[in-house]
Amino acid sequence: MEPSLASYLALSGILFTIGAVGVIFKRNAIGMFMCIELMLNAVNLTFVAFSRYYADVTGQLFVFMVMSVAAAEAAVGLGIIISFFRNRVSVDVDDASILKN
Amino acid sequence: MSEFSLLDYAPIGVMFLVAIGFAASQILVTQLIGPRKRTATKLMPYESGKDPVGSARDRFSIKFYTVAVIFLLFDIEVLFMIPFAVAFKELLAQEKISTIAFGTIAFVEIMIFISTLVVGYIYVWRKGTFEWGLQARAEARAEAKEMVKEKNRRIRETQRVA
Amino acid sequence: MNTILLQNLVNPNVNLPIVLPEMIVALTGVIVMLYDSFVPRQRSVTGAISLIGLAISAFFLVSMWNDAPQTGWNGMIASDGLRLSFTIVFLLVSAVTILISSVWADNEDVPIGEYHALLLFATFGMMFMASGNDLVIIFLGLETLSIATYVMAGLRRGDLKSNESAMKYFILGSFASAFLLYGMALIYGATGSTNITEIALKVANPNFPALLLVGGAMMIVGFGFKVATVPFHVWTPDVYEGAPTPVTAFMAVGSKSAAFASFLRVFVLGFPLIAGVQASEFLHESWVTALSVMAILTMTVGNIAAILQDNVKRMLAYSSIAHAGYAMVGFIGAGMAKNMQQRDAAIAAVAFYMLTYAVTNLGAFAIVTLLGQKNDRRTAFEDYNGIGFRAPALAFTLSLFMLSLLGLPLTAGFMGKVMVFRPALEANNLLLTVMVIAAAVNTAISAYYYLRLIVVMFFRERTTDWLAPRIPTALTAALLITVLGVLYFGIFSDGVIEKFSKSSVGTVFKAGTRP
Repeated sequence: MEPSLASYLALSGILFTIGAVGVIFKRNAIGMFMCIELMLNAVNLTFVAFSRYYADVTGQLFVFMVMSVAAAEAAVGLGIIISFFRNRVSVDVDDASILKN
Repeated sequence: MSEFSLLDYAPIGVMFLVAIGFAASQILVTQLIGPRKRTATKLMPYESGKDPVGSARDRFSIKFYTVAVIFLLFDIEVLFMIPFAVAFKELLAQEKISTIAFGTIAFVEIMIFISTLVVGYIYVWRKGTFEWGLQARAEARAEAKEMVKEKNRRIRETQRVA
Repeated sequence: MNTILLQNLVNPNVNLPIVLPEMIVALTGVIVMLYDSFVPRQRSVTGAISLIGLAISAFFLVSMWNDAPQTGWNGMIASDGLRLSFTIVFLLVSAVTILISSVWADNEDVPIGEYHALLLFATFGMMFMASGNDLVIIFLGLETLSIATYVMAGLRRGDLKSNESAMKYFILGSFASAFLLYGMALIYGATGSTNITEIALKVANPNFPALLLVGGAMMIVGFGFKVATVPFHVWTPDVYEGAPTPVTAFMAVGSKSAAFASFLRVFVLGFPLIAGVQASEFLHESWVTALSVMAILTMTVGNIAAILQDNVKRMLAYSSIAHAGYAMVGFIGAGMAKNMQQRDAAIAAVAFYMLTYAVTNLGAFAIVTLLGQKNDRRTAFEDYNGIGFRAPALAFTLSLFMLSLLGLPLTAGFMGKVMVFRPALEANNLLLTVMVIAAAVNTAISAYYYLRLIVVMFFRERTTDWLAPRIPTALTAALLITVLGVLYFGIFSDGVIEKFSKSSVGTVFKAGTRP
């Protein structure tokens, strides 16, 4: 039996929430970034579920774009985190505290 | 849209079974018929010929990161090429029966895409991302020179003694 | 599979010239990137190439100006008033940013060629944010812009502040992008399409009305972050302070107006009010109310926080938050417009507001860059003490920009504010009138911190020694452009507004009053 659209949406909603909560509560930059990736994948699941529901390829096409953007974001983001680490020897976001009033 | 059926995915299941079976049988067979000599070196965890000493939480060279990231970006390009490759024959067939040059346009577009990637490749090459052998090579050359000097010195010494 | 493919084949004969300005900018970016990698020692050639590319792109854009609104690429790209007017702002912003960053060419060791390439790619993304008539294009444009600006914020690799700014911007920016994307996915789910024209047709009868609302809310979070509205503004001061000043100028002006372009396109053109249809009315009322509350909060919080700042860059960051609030007044005016002419006039007003804000803010940031010296060390208010009589030209120019940000008559800032408040007042709606009053009160509050800088410059004794900065020619050019812009848009604004007032692609509009 094929799972219904609602179950896909529920799963992606749960994944998205886990990711969002993770970003808010994690203090490690890499961990936060992984949670963002989880959120993007939840979105991809939503797109694919709707794409199948409507028998329309637009959603799958969107997923391609999201995946390539996520790769580019990963490349840039890890670079930024590494350059932060080189100067600070830490990837803890609580150490990012020079710019505060 | 056709009815969803798990049976459609049976070939993938078979592939998984074969893969697991192959790996398992290899391990079993080597365990059963292979000779066994337990020396200290052999009992060490295998780490590409290096001694596995120290913590894995060490800082790695930045070069590994750059290569990994470049791999990641060039890996994603396949995402766009596979749909093109799957559809291309169909588009060429369509080009023959319609007035619109579907196949040609798709080909030109994928070529533009690939040339964009080539630009990126040229950029990372010119920026010296692949040059990380240079320093290592220089060190190796210096070491080799030292070794030759040492060898010559030793030869001279033995000649003097003789 | 093959049969599906055959049935859905669309004619690939798209309207290619419609994206010519974008393509030229992208091509220039690639040329700059390659030139920089082959001639790494250059300091100014890539800047010149970039300026030429931007000029050619602007030429083609202007030559398209009198065409009727049209779409291309199977409806994915729209060329209309919204696109043309915003794109010309982006090109101007990008060119002036290149001129401002010329101060780096002599006294700082930043990878200037890479910076120019990134700036061009960011501009390319912004242009697609204005011309995209499809959620896919808007998303790609937004990400192209964001990823380039993440790198630009961290351009000073050895500087802790720059690192921190880049990391905060990256993490919070991609967090917001994820929300925006989830919103897009839900809207695709609710309407079955990602094309904005089709979404506008479908909001009257969505497949899943609840998802439409949730999707709209998610997109408000995403776009709200990008334009820095309260309560999604917390990243702004830190990121703006830490980033190199020319990059801050670009983010405060370019990213913000690009996000406004997409925001307008998706909400005003994508979620129109269709009278008598409950689903559409509910959606429209929800987003208008939510954005009105956000606009009032944004103005107030931005201005009050700006008063408390001791750093000029942070002050300008909070001022940019407040200005996002003013621009949103025009935005909501466009959303509440009673007919298509009014709507297009309100969109043109927001574009004009962004133009005036752009010239004023770029000029202010140019002077902050110059006075900040190497690594932006001198950006506190004390560093401006008493420079009024030691560098009168700079001080008077900066005062002019402050007065324009405040919105004094005869400056661009005044005309911009008048233009965005007018459609909101014309809507004759209580909420909108309250919003305009709040904006007027806020303008009065903002006088405190804008005038404070002028007072500091002219009436404080300087305690530290004063080193007259050497002004590079390119920076002089940037200042000249911005000063002339401030005066020209303040006095002869009618011509520009007329040029901007072109109709938009969205045709779904049924006049009507709410029950």
